[in-house]
Amino acid sequence: MAIADAGSSPGHIPRRRRLRVDLTTPTLLGLPLAWLAVFFLVPIGIVAAYSFDVYSLDPGPHSFTLTAWRDFLHSSVYLRLFWKSVRMSLTVSAIVVVLAYPLAYYLALSGTKRKYILLLLLIAPFLTSYLLRVLAWKVILGNQGVVNTFLFWTGLRSPDHPLSQLLYSRFAVMLVLGYIWLPFVALPIFVSLESLDRRLLEAASDLGASRLQAFRRVTLPLSLPGVVAAFLFVFIPTLGEFVTPSLVGGANGYMYGNQIVDLFGTGFPDWETGSVLAIFLLGVVAVLTVVFARFLQPRQVAAD
Amino acid sequence: MDKQEATERRLSREHLLRLAAAAGGAGLLSRADKAQAALDWLNAESGRLQVLDWAGYGNDGGQAMFAQYVKTHPKNKPQFTYMTNESDALAKIHAGLKPDLFRPYVGWVKYFATSGLVQPWDPKLISNFKHLNPFMVKAGQYKGKQYGIPDDWGFDAILYRSDKVTPKARSWGLLFDERYKGKIAWFDDLEMLTIAGLYLGFDKPWRQTDAQLKRSQKFLMSKKHLVRLIWSSETNLWEAFGSGDLWIAYAWPNDWVQMKKKKLKVVYMRPKEKPIAWVGMFMLRKGSPRPNLAHAYVNAWSSARSGKWLEDNYGYGHANTLARPSSSDLLKALQLTNPKAVTEPSAHLDRDIPRRAVYARMWEEVKAS
Repeated sequence: MAIADAGSSPGHIPRRRRLRVDLTTPTLLGLPLAWLAVFFLVPIGIVAAYSFDVYSLDPGPHSFTLTAWRDFLHSSVYLRLFWKSVRMSLTVSAIVVVLAYPLAYYLALSGTKRKYILLLLLIAPFLTSYLLRVLAWKVILGNQGVVNTFLFWTGLRSPDHPLSQLLYSRFAVMLVLGYIWLPFVALPIFVSLESLDRRLLEAASDLGASRLQAFRRVTLPLSLPGVVAAFLFVFIPTLGEFVTPSLVGGANGYMYGNQIVDLFGTGFPDWETGSVLAIFLLGVVAVLTVVFARFLQPRQVAAD
Repeated sequence: MDKQEATERRLSREHLLRLAAAAGGAGLLSRADKAQAALDWLNAESGRLQVLDWAGYGNDGGQAMFAQYVKTHPKNKPQFTYMTNESDALAKIHAGLKPDLFRPYVGWVKYFATSGLVQPWDPKLISNFKHLNPFMVKAGQYKGKQYGIPDDWGFDAILYRSDKVTPKARSWGLLFDERYKGKIAWFDDLEMLTIAGLYLGFDKPWRQTDAQLKRSQKFLMSKKHLVRLIWSSETNLWEAFGSGDLWIAYAWPNDWVQMKKKKLKVVYMRPKEKPIAWVGMFMLRKGSPRPNLAHAYVNAWSSARSGKWLEDNYGYGHANTLARPSSSDLLKALQLTNPKAVTEPSAHLDRDIPRRAVYARMWEEVKAS
């Protein structure tokens, strides 16, 4: 009771007790903040320093310069690659959200007793290695893979003319990314739908709304924060993706993330340009996150 | 002897302590050989030998080539980190990796020798050194010092499926043939600009002018739509080539050997513009705490037995002139009896690219295009 009182009227907390509370908060926050600072902000700062040539692999004299940034912004090649990656990520995110929504809807609102078992099945692939899941697609999509073998068997294609666009292509990258990220999309939508107040749907029905109208006017708007969160969950990581494209993308599926990796590694290395590309990506993602965060409206959701 | 070398040779405090301890030990034991044993014990290099090498040359299949070293140094077995090309090795070293030795190829000897990252070898510590091909030994020198110990060698040329592909000519042009769109693989390295230069007929493909480089880059960009895969890992190439996803590829002799093992009808074509030849050069990192172990490791690699194994199993040549493969096909294909197979008029030996950074940037732009 004393705790409840103290929580409701902090003005009555004795001075010594208030002091302890004041120290607890920074202590609890201190570790994660320090972690963020050391393993997130400092590395970003170092990468940024490389992009301005403050740090350099070149042992010779060097100083602050905007040359790499200027070259990047004038380079149609890198910007074009960035837009190609944005388009691919947007396509993957949109398709996966559209596919995941009905799935999450069924799991959350169908009332089936097995929904948590089904949810577990949905996330079961996460129990295996990411690399393994991507490599498995090579077996499926290759010239002698499952799909082509089936086409040969049915006579739809001759073994001399397999569907060769399936692997080492932009399509392969988007397909595999979609498969990998589908559960990530389904989960936030599922949570959003499951927390929906069912009485609102009953009220809509009582007021004469059809099921479609109720979905369009009630369910969909209220689940939008989950949809936006899900979209972001896919879009942000896939924009900087490099593992999947390097395994199934070939020359055509090469993405912006691959370019960053190559500039830091096999491409001579050119850490200055690589850092510019990395910081640019980080900036774009940060801006998009801020913009999309407005749609999440966490306070309104909390109030609801 | 320059000032730096003189400083390095000066006895350090640590060495003095070691000598004092050895002398003390000798006094106590009163026998010269025991004193030597004490000195050896004190000078012993410890820990596992750190090797930065290419895939296939470590514990992933290349054990036979350093088996002798493992036998004589069981407590200092090599520990491998893998590199995909020299730039990758450079990036890893810059990022803090401290290998005792690593293996760039002949075109990088000057770059690394002048980078301050490596130190010369002492050939007297490598008993097999006298059997190494003198031409290749010389290629590993810079300003009279032996920065690179030659070992494996081979060619960059074109591998193609003879049952699927009919080349118009024996030329690098097969990598740019419109008829085989989607069936071609390039290699992920700035060397593709050199190959484009060779194909376009430039007299110095390793020293292209700005205009020539721009032309080579534009040419590669215009042909990139034909390319299915730009490979950096041989296993990736073997898998795609073996499954029929690829018919034509920039390749090394080992790739030809591996595809033949898969019973594919393949030809390893030497283009009329000549293949590019390479020689692997072991390099000793400056500041390595295990220089003696590194010499022992390279000595094992340099033996005729290791060379024969390399030739028989990987289809690469070996710098040891006593090494001979079991197969006469290999002997003929690699011209192993020709001591200058890696240079004119047989092939272009890979060489230093003075403007390597410019080449690298332009190659990255080709990939991004």
